[in-house]
Amino acid sequence: MINFLVIVFIISLIYISKVEMVKSYFGLMALQGILLFGLAFLELKEVSIVQLLFILVETLVFKAVFVPWFLHRITRNKVHRHNSGPIKGYYSVLIAGVIIVVSFLIGYLLHDELKTNADLQVKYFTAAIASIFIGLFVAITNRDLVTHLISYLVIENGIFLLSLALGSEMPMFVNSAILLDIFTSVLVMGVFFNKVKDYFQNMDATQLSKLKD
Amino acid sequence: MIYLFFCITALLSGVTYFVRNRTLSHLLVFIHLLAVVVLGAYLLPRIGQQLSEFFFCDRIGIIFFIILIIVSVVSAVHYLAFVKDRDVRPNVQALHNAGTIFFTGGMVGVLLASHFGVLWAFMEATTLGASVLIYHNRTSESLEATWKYLFISSIGITLAFAGVLFLGLAGQQIQNVDFTFATVKSLSDQLNPLWLKACFLLIVTGFSVKMGLVPLFNVDIDAKDVSPSQVGASLSSVLMNAGFVAIYRFYEAFSSTSILPWMNKLLMITGLISLFFAAAYMLKVRNVKRLFAYSSMEHASLVMIAFSCGGLGYFAAILHLIMHSLVKSSLFFQVSQMHRIYNSKIDENIGSYLRINPLGGLVMLLGFLSIIAMPPSGMLISELLMFQTLIANNYWWIALIVLLLVLIVIYGLAVRMLGIVFLKKNTANINMKGATPFESIIQLALILIVFYIGLFRPEIIVDSINQAIKSLPA
Repeated sequence: MINFLVIVFIISLIYISKVEMVKSYFGLMALQGILLFGLAFLELKEVSIVQLLFILVETLVFKAVFVPWFLHRITRNKVHRHNSGPIKGYYSVLIAGVIIVVSFLIGYLLHDELKTNADLQVKYFTAAIASIFIGLFVAITNRDLVTHLISYLVIENGIFLLSLALGSEMPMFVNSAILLDIFTSVLVMGVFFNKVKDYFQNMDATQLSKLKD
Repeated sequence: MIYLFFCITALLSGVTYFVRNRTLSHLLVFIHLLAVVVLGAYLLPRIGQQLSEFFFCDRIGIIFFIILIIVSVVSAVHYLAFVKDRDVRPNVQALHNAGTIFFTGGMVGVLLASHFGVLWAFMEATTLGASVLIYHNRTSESLEATWKYLFISSIGITLAFAGVLFLGLAGQQIQNVDFTFATVKSLSDQLNPLWLKACFLLIVTGFSVKMGLVPLFNVDIDAKDVSPSQVGASLSSVLMNAGFVAIYRFYEAFSSTSILPWMNKLLMITGLISLFFAAAYMLKVRNVKRLFAYSSMEHASLVMIAFSCGGLGYFAAILHLIMHSLVKSSLFFQVSQMHRIYNSKIDENIGSYLRINPLGGLVMLLGFLSIIAMPPSGMLISELLMFQTLIANNYWWIALIVLLLVLIVIYGLAVRMLGIVFLKKNTANINMKGATPFESIIQLALILIVFYIGLFRPEIIVDSINQAIKSLPA
């Protein structure tokens, strides 16, 4: 089951690197949220109500419902198709594929360095590293701000997977503070996203080039 | 007590956001600053003690806590003049003041955290607070700078979190490794060096945006340029210190492991590349605020280079940060005044400042002497110590490169700042109402503290720094 979820997650990453219609992002982010909930739920060693609630809030409520809804709300009737960057169409799929293969190689090479339950960790590790690098790749190769916001969320999902790969748990207080921070940063980004959109009447990041030496 | 402080911060920040009465809004900021001072008084007799499960009070934390109090109080006073001059709308002022409280509270959390996860959470909080402050002027430039700062900072902080997670990976072989500094330090020699290196690399990369270093320095420069000068002062001083403390915590925790020489090399390379970029841009830049922002980058680089040498370099780095915080914030505050008089921040439009505003011109002149480490500036001591440690470590070539780059920086600063102070230029629309002596006197006091440190080397500062670096390898 874990293998299946990780593979679907990686496929969703490939799709994210290729997406041209903004609304496709919402579904993909929701899908990733659900997949992360599945993985986190399967990882629970002992099911306590508090832990279950926390994972529910973090993945299903926040990542699978709130984020796609919020993105839909701030782009509603304004942005349908994002401006493609310098790397178009299937080339980006190819590059995403290379990133995934390299991530797998890194994960495999680090097999000996991973101690507890190394086989499982390699899967998570591969998906996490791939997610972080594909997030960075999407941010660099696209010029529009919607995609930048999505790339940040993809990197966040990668970090979530990395924390699963480690299996090391932080105290609930720290976890809550971290979740609150990420939640607020998405909200604040959304607010500024709206302001940029209203001000420049355009979502192209090349508009944001007044500040230079 | 510490949790009470954070509750007060959250409450005051929330209330201030809704307060539209200007006087009351300012009053709430000062009430929060009073809470910070009370917390400081509570902390002083508790140095070296654990305050709660996730917070402690150590020397390095308390040193930068005191700097935070000084800069924050002066900054709040300057904002009063800024609001009066610009006729800032009540809602903008309310958001700024709420952001200031949140930002200050976040930095207190960074300085006092004893847990890597908590440190990260508060660092992220400073990003959110700073974004609100940068957006203050509501122009297209401030919007651009805010978006870039928020986006790049968030990516940087997320990478730093990956670093914290790698630390967890390093600790997997050992049972019961929590993420507190003390536990990690005590067990660090048993941790896997590969993961520790990955952790430290990501931490330096992620927090580089806070310290204004390579690779994520660009957004920091833009932020200091477009935000109000008192915000630029905070970003250049107290936030830079918070970024340093964050890197310091990881460095200290790993300092007894085999990766110490590798960490030093990484910091040295980061410092040198940053210094190179700062020097190159300072020759080109014509905007005074950007000039000071690059100057902050130069000093952050020097701090990293000194710190990477170890031994006396640790002392030099911390002393340099203390003095830089006072001088640079003073210069940023003065730019605010200068902007009010000339309605420009481009050096071509600003001239004969010493004649037009003698007290402000004096601040500029003494600030210039301080920042280039000219005697009697205390920064001379820290820079000399840095060169001494570089040479003692046989880094002759590096010392020469640093010297050359520092000379380029001094040239860049001299051309612009001395031109502003002495040269007669084609300046139009001078508004003398902006020249308020009260503000300049406070700025002068900050610079004179640095001169005092340079001339008398107060024992309390020397002892405090020595105590702070005692836990680092000799």
